[in-house]
Amino acid sequence: MGTDLHKPDVQAARKGVVWREIAIIAAAFLVLTPFLAVHRVTDFMIFCIYVMSFDLLYGYMGRLSFGQMLYLGTGVYVSTLFSLHISPNPLLSMLAGVAGGAIVAGILGLVVVPLAEAPFALTNLAFNQVGFFLIGSAFQRVTHGEDGISSGVEPWGFLDFANEYVAYGFVLACLIFAFLVLKTLTRSPYGILIRSIKENEVRVKFLGYHTFFYKWLTFVIAGSFAALAGTLYTLYIGFVSPVFIHPLNNVEVIFAALIGGAGNLYGALAGGVFYMVLRDSLSTHIPQWEWILGILLLIVVFYLREGITGFVRSLTRGILRKMAQKKAMEEA
Amino acid sequence: MIQTLLYGTTIGAILYFFSIGLSITFGTMKIINFAHCMVYTLGVYFFITLLPFLGGIFPAALAFAMLMVVPVAYVMERFVIRRLYGESLDYAMIATYAMLLIGTDAIKWIWGNTPLPVSDPLGTAMTVLGVSIPVYRVIIVASSVALFLSLNVFFKKNIIGKIVIAALDDNQGVRCLGLNVDRYFSIVFIIGSVLAVLGGVLYAPISAAEPYMGHDILLIAFAVVIVGGMGNLTGTFVSAFVLGMVIALTGRYYSQAADTMVFVVMAAVLIFRRSEG
Repeated sequence: MGTDLHKPDVQAARKGVVWREIAIIAAAFLVLTPFLAVHRVTDFMIFCIYVMSFDLLYGYMGRLSFGQMLYLGTGVYVSTLFSLHISPNPLLSMLAGVAGGAIVAGILGLVVVPLAEAPFALTNLAFNQVGFFLIGSAFQRVTHGEDGISSGVEPWGFLDFANEYVAYGFVLACLIFAFLVLKTLTRSPYGILIRSIKENEVRVKFLGYHTFFYKWLTFVIAGSFAALAGTLYTLYIGFVSPVFIHPLNNVEVIFAALIGGAGNLYGALAGGVFYMVLRDSLSTHIPQWEWILGILLLIVVFYLREGITGFVRSLTRGILRKMAQKKAMEEA
Repeated sequence: MIQTLLYGTTIGAILYFFSIGLSITFGTMKIINFAHCMVYTLGVYFFITLLPFLGGIFPAALAFAMLMVVPVAYVMERFVIRRLYGESLDYAMIATYAMLLIGTDAIKWIWGNTPLPVSDPLGTAMTVLGVSIPVYRVIIVASSVALFLSLNVFFKKNIIGKIVIAALDDNQGVRCLGLNVDRYFSIVFIIGSVLAVLGGVLYAPISAAEPYMGHDILLIAFAVVIVGGMGNLTGTFVSAFVLGMVIALTGRYYSQAADTMVFVVMAAVLIFRRSEG
């Protein structure tokens, strides 16, 4: 980190950039809305928060988890049960859900975080399976198992999720909040540190950093944001079932993060929207559509490692280079 | 109790058939092969389709099903898995998952979604210590032990097996000897796929054939491979039977928790054996 970053004019310039980013995201989703229904876009935005949480773990820290659904599901179920049994206030339910996700991630993180690569991915999957069992079978009396339950959230002040425009605005605000927090985090020295862990953890250790703590912290943050997305599902849909914690649904978020371009929050947003649009349009026309997803995934793995954002970036770079060449030719 | 023990060993045997391919694929190529369960399911469907044509002879249909999977496994290995050698693990996992999605949809498209029952080919039971035991299950267990022994011989005596074992230990070193390791890996990959089909077909009469039958066993097989140590053949054998027993014993007292208990054991193993992972 250069010292000039702390000069006031640089900071001011950065602030301007942040506002511009907020404006771009909000504008992008607002532009999207007329083409799709309002409730669809709300759904997409919640999913995008979830994808960003996954991207922090996978794209930035390089830890692929096959069990991120567990934290989404924890958020969903904790907020639902909280609203039913303790308080119907939507904001308190959200807080409870996020806290639940953070606590579960904090405890399981102690076990999972020392692992890497395959054992990391599979242990997360295993814990997800355990969570699915607990929700779907073991605590059936509380969660009603496969039948699902309706949440007890009641409107609070202006916050009435039955009104789809209120829901839309609130979810958009949450999305921007999540984006800003994650953006700040990934740009901070902490963000550089977790990216260094992705590149070479041993060297980071040599530099004297306690990598376990940072990995654990990242895991907990990712879990909390996934839980945040889960609580929004509770508030917005109002009916929860074990679908929200099913281990086989993990592929969705992996797909979205990859196709958008991992390690890039814009990529997470683009991938989230792309996946949801793809899923919606395909599943209405073709009963069996998952094979298309499979083929797209193979294309991404073999030809488009950087995803949509990488593709766009290389495309613009190519155009710019061509333009520069043309200019040079003309000048010559 | 004897029933439960027999059930545990049966499950263990099936798990062993299935996990051996996963374990070898991981040990040799460092690839977590999600598509393994697709091959398993596909083999069972081949078997069901072939059975009436072969006059209902169980072993003949089984052999043909195993043969029919060979080209499928070859295509998977040649066009996807081989391109992932030395790549990061994430992309390999995702690519094999993509194949699983494609394969599962193909199975659903060809054979439909409804479960197809498979009848017990023997149907006879024998009585041991006053308990009636289906002969079929005893055969499964016996064949898994036979397989374990013959695989051990294969990897210790046969030149292909020796090369694979050496490559498991030091891939670069074997390459430096001028051996085309990839070719041996693809042979082992196909063997693993065929063994998965063997397990699937043997298990089909106990459960039923449905497009997602592989998914359930895949998760448990991952646990088997992790507990046994990835690429450790003896470890896979032992952990398959131990976890099979865990499933049977848990299932006896609380059937819904049977699969989950496996993951609890796996998590415990991982916690106490951190360095290997």
